[in-house]
Order: sequence, then C-alpha cells, then structure tokens
Amino acid sequence: MHGIQLDEFALIIEGDFRMNWKAQKVFVGLWVLLLGLMVADHASAQEAGVTLSGTVTTSSGAVANAKITLKNAATQQTTEAQTDASGRYSVQDLPAGDYELSVSVEGFPITTMPVTIVAGVSKMMDVTLGGAPSLGDLGFSSAQIQGSPQNQALLDKRSHMLKIHQRLGLIAAVPMIASVATSFGASGRSTSSTDRYLHLALGAATGDLYFTSAYFAIRAPKIPGTQTRGQIRAHKILAWIHGPGMILTPILGGMAFSERSKGERVHGIASAHGPVAIVTASAYAAAILSVSVKF
Amino acid sequence: MTHMKKALIVLLFLACPAHAQTDGQWILGQSTLTYHVSHPLHQTEGVSHAARGKGVCHAGQCDFLIAAPVKSFDSGDSNRDLHMLQVTRGAQFPLVSVRTRLPEGVSASDTIQADLDVEFAGQTAHYEHVLFKRLTQGNEIRISGTIPVTLSDFKIDPPSLLSLPVKNEVPVRVEMTWRKEN
Repeated sequence: MHGIQLDEFALIIEGDFRMNWKAQKVFVGLWVLLLGLMVADHASAQEAGVTLSGTVTTSSGAVANAKITLKNAATQQTTEAQTDASGRYSVQDLPAGDYELSVSVEGFPITTMPVTIVAGVSKMMDVTLGGAPSLGDLGFSSAQIQGSPQNQALLDKRSHMLKIHQRLGLIAAVPMIASVATSFGASGRSTSSTDRYLHLALGAATGDLYFTSAYFAIRAPKIPGTQTRGQIRAHKILAWIHGPGMILTPILGGMAFSERSKGERVHGIASAHGPVAIVTASAYAAAILSVSVKF
Repeated sequence: MTHMKKALIVLLFLACPAHAQTDGQWILGQSTLTYHVSHPLHQTEGVSHAARGKGVCHAGQCDFLIAAPVKSFDSGDSNRDLHMLQVTRGAQFPLVSVRTRLPEGVSASDTIQADLDVEFAGQTAHYEHVLFKRLTQGNEIRISGTIPVTLSDFKIDPPSLLSLPVKNEVPVRVEMTWRKEN
C-alpha cells in the first residue's frame, strides 16, 4: 500500500517535473539564443569599430575622387574607397592585420604604404602625393618616430654609472696586482709584520675599490627588453667567480694574518687564502679582458 | 607633307625628357646597413636589416627617404649596443634617416653620385657626391656604397673603452635592393 502511494506520488512529481522541465528547456533555449545574439552583436560591433580614415592632399590642396585600395597582406583581399570633395576617405569594418594602402590619382604615381590595423583601434593615415616621402609614408608609427627623453635619461644614467664602474674597476686592479706581488713576502716563514701589514693594506684597498665598483654595476638601471648577448655575458659570468672570491679572500686572509701574528704556521682553512686569491685575481683579469679585447 | 609634320611632332614629343621618363615610385626591399667602429683594441661592426625606404618620382625627379631605427643595429653585444644607443641619443632620436634627390634617368647608369642629407642623433649632416654602385637584377636594382659618416658631424662624443676613445670616422656601408612600382 505504502509502495503504491509512493508510486502515485512519484508519477505526480514526475508529471510536474516534466512540465517544469519543458518550460525550463524553452526558457534556457531562449536565454541561449539571446546570449548568442548578444555575443554575435558584440563581436560584430568590435569588427565594425575598426576604421581606417585620412585625407589625400597634394601641394595644391585636397584631392577629390582619389582611388583608395586597401589590400590585406594575409588574405590578399582588397577593399576600395574614394575620397570625397574635401579629400577625406574612410574604410570601415576592417579586421586586424597588415595591409597595403594604395592611393591612385591621375597625374601622380600610385602611392603605396604599409598599414597595420590593431583590433578595436581606429587609425588615421594622411597621404601627401607628389612631395618627398615622409617617415609616416614608410609605415613608421608615431611611437617609433617620437623619442623619449625619459628613456634617454635612463640610458644616460646607466652609462654614467657603468663608466664609474669601469674606472674604479681598473683602479682596483692596481692594488690587486700589488697585493698579489706582496703576498710572497707576507706568507713565507721569515716574514716581518711590516710585510704582512703592507699586504693587508693593499688587500683592504683592493676590496674597497672592488665593492664600490661593483655597487655601480649592480645599481646601474636595467633597460627593459634587453637580453644579455655577446662578450658582456662572459664578463657577468666571471663576476660569479671573482665576487665570492673577493668576499672569501679577506676572511681567509684575516685568519692567516692572525695565525702568523701569533707565530704559528698558517694552517687549516686559512691556508686556502693564497689559492682563492689567485683564482679571484685571475677571474678578475679575465673579466677585464672580456670587455676589452674582441674574441 | 601632313604625315611628315605629324611624325615630327611625335618625335619632338618623345625626345622631351619630361615625357620620356615615367612617374612612379621606388620601394626599398632588402637592406643591410653596417657601421664600422675602430678602437685601438678592436674593430666593431653593427648591422641593421630594418631600414625602410621609398622614392617618389615626379616631373623627372625622384625624392628618396630611407630610415632605420637606431636600436635595430646589432653588434653582437648587448652592452655595446646599449652604449651606442646612449652616445647617439638613440632613445630621444630613435630613427636615422637619409634623404636624397636624384634625376629619374640616373637609374640607367652603373654608378650613382648622390648628395645625402643624413639625420641622426638630432643633427643633420650633408654629404656631397657620395658614390654608389648600381646593379640591375631582373626587376630590382641593387645599390651599394659607403657613407663617410664621422661622429663629429653629429656632435657625438667618441665613446671610450679603458680611457681610449674610438676613431671619429664611422663609415656606414649600405647595401639596398629597390624595386620600381608604377
């Protein structure tokens, strides 16, 4: 009995549901149709929004009835238009892409120029016939023609800082060479404290100049969109060798100095001071050569 | 006698240079512009293939304009290129352009002597009687020559490396292929 009641209830529900489902299907269908129409309308509105317009002139004024031909570089499809009495033309509904604009006027050679149409952005292209070509005739955009004093200032700052980096780097090479030269007197068994202090002073001068020079290289403005290419890559890679070397060398040197000052023989990790310094100085010399000599 | 007169008029008409030469325009196809810099430690070249050019002919004269973005010159080293861009004020004056006017009939000879107005780094320099070789290849004409550019012409301070400045002379080798459109 209970089962029958349930079945009846189920049929009633199913019937209602079927009715509702039909209504829902119609409702959803209408929505889909409406949405489709809206999307199509939006898409066509976007397509229709792209217009190429401009004025055709000669040295004596506007040119009426000039024939305008726009050829799509990808599809080779052409669109034609004509200038009005005031020399104005307009070509609408253009899809984005590269085009060749040709202007034909009796008595003048056909003038052609490249045009790039960007989706959603209407473009103006004025054409002057009979005169010398302009940068616009070559297809350069105004952004390509106009300079940026801000970008120039950035380049100037970068060059200025790198010049200081270069000068200080070269100056640092002098105490570095002297430091390497005095290391033989500072590390032997019969060394005097004067030799060690001289070596220490030269090493300290090298470090100061090195890190000041490195500061100017690291802080020089980066130019967006520039990829490191060529010998400068070797210069930068070598910095990963002499940079850590310039940190390690004085630490190990300090330890060696302390041991020698106590009258002990340089031992343990401090004995790596010499080899690390030689590798650092070699990498530094190679870094200078990498930007000085072409290979 | 009437036929003689007509023939004479036709001959006179054809002999007139203005009518013998047709108007048209020249379009720059492929191009290679190469600057050469000399430094005591090394020689450097920067190459650009990004030049665009056009020549418009009318009434027997052709006006040519060739332009290339300064930053399109590639020396193979990004640091050197950025330094070149800085010293030549390339961010402020992004294009180097050359203008010249030639008689339309000049394209028939093997060499072309042109007076050039070069605009670069915010300055314009005039170069007279620059010699170019001309070679016809089918429908195209290949032009090659060297523009004797100097840095001082454009008020550019010679950049230096290790305190040694580059030479003032920076010749620019030009190789261009032009095609005519009527």
